[in-house]
Amino acid sequence: MTRTDEELVARAQGGDIESFNQLIVRWERPIYALAYRVIGKEEDARDVCQDAFLRAYRALPGFKGQAKFSSWLYRIALNLCRDWIRRQRRAPVSQLPEDMDAIELASETGPAESIEDLVARRELTAIVEEAMSELSEEQRTAIILKEYHGMTFQEIADMQGCPLSTVKTRLYQGLSLLRRRLEQQGQMMPELVKRV
Amino acid sequence: MNDIFQCGDSAALVAYLYDECAPGEQALIATHLKRCATCATEIDALNATRRTLAAWTPPELALGFRITRDDELRPAKVLEPTIAWWRAPLPAWAQAAAALVIFGVGLSVGSARHSVTEPVAAPQTVAATVPANRQPVAASASPDDLAQLEKRLRAELTQLRSSTTAATPAAVRGSDDALLAQVKTLIEQSEENQRRDFTVRMVDLAGNIETQRRVDLASVRQQMGLQQGAIGTELRQQREVLGRLVSERTR
Repeated sequence: MTRTDEELVARAQGGDIESFNQLIVRWERPIYALAYRVIGKEEDARDVCQDAFLRAYRALPGFKGQAKFSSWLYRIALNLCRDWIRRQRRAPVSQLPEDMDAIELASETGPAESIEDLVARRELTAIVEEAMSELSEEQRTAIILKEYHGMTFQEIADMQGCPLSTVKTRLYQGLSLLRRRLEQQGQMMPELVKRV
Repeated sequence: MNDIFQCGDSAALVAYLYDECAPGEQALIATHLKRCATCATEIDALNATRRTLAAWTPPELALGFRITRDDELRPAKVLEPTIAWWRAPLPAWAQAAAALVIFGVGLSVGSARHSVTEPVAAPQTVAATVPANRQPVAASASPDDLAQLEKRLRAELTQLRSSTTAATPAAVRGSDDALLAQVKTLIEQSEENQRRDFTVRMVDLAGNIETQRRVDLASVRQQMGLQQGAIGTELRQQREVLGRLVSERTR
């Protein structure tokens, strides 16, 4: 029998750890995906995801159910992502040294012709990631919450603590920037650009 | 229509794009798009962007978080072997110092035995006045004690040689032999103690080295794990670079 989030939360608040573990199983993928798309690093995203559940578990006695459990969890995860981004801004970002030859680097990995499809997908992923990283944190988060987590404008507004009109502006501006960037990279699917 | 929707209204277009228009607005915008090429192109481009975004999937990663007990809420520390304080590994300098001490003690014992056995054969008379209470020292005689004892005996011998010429030879020889036997016993006991002490220290040292080895191994394993993680990340990045190169070439 599948229990609702609210039922599982109530049982977990009563001390049933397994109920909380069911909530983890239900939400760990979306939370990880959110963290990964916001901060862009697998391991750090996993840490953020784990930390989000730990914090949620510790704060569970104080959760009164004013919002949906998932919204509450998303908010915790987003706050952790924001903290992570702040820390990263303070810390120097390690990059590939300029004098390192990319061709030499690639030749060390051996032939990869047999995985062209995979390569193409990864290339697209890398370009999208790069384009997303050029957006402001607010625009990026709004697009991620809308595109990948299907939140409504109002939910995003609540999550970001801003008016609904601001969410729409962030979405429009963010998508427009992405569109330009992807077009520059030749990654916009041309058959989809033209309607007629 | 224009009261509700104005051409180029980005907020309304976004609402239309995500199907979150106000009631009635959806149909109005759809009608407008049929007539306005600019807005239609804008909507198409935004839709294309959304479709491209759909290709962005996070990598598969084993998660499997679980809450097990209240006291496990805190992040787990890296497990380290617990070692009793008396078995804790000594630093390298202390181990070297201990080895030097053991070596020095062995050396001094050896030299003491050598210097004691030679002169003992010479004396003809030994004072019977050697204090009887010197005997208990044997149990814990150190090389220094033996050296002092030897020095004292020599001094007394010299003194006796010069002062007494009419001692009873048999009695003196008897006490001399007893003293010699006593000295030998002392030396043997001392050597035995040293050997025992040395063995205990060596066992301790071996235990310490083994413990240190285990700690080092655990540390190396941990470091290797971290390195493997870093190498994995690097490999992925390299493959991505290679992927780009391959697709550029095919293009």
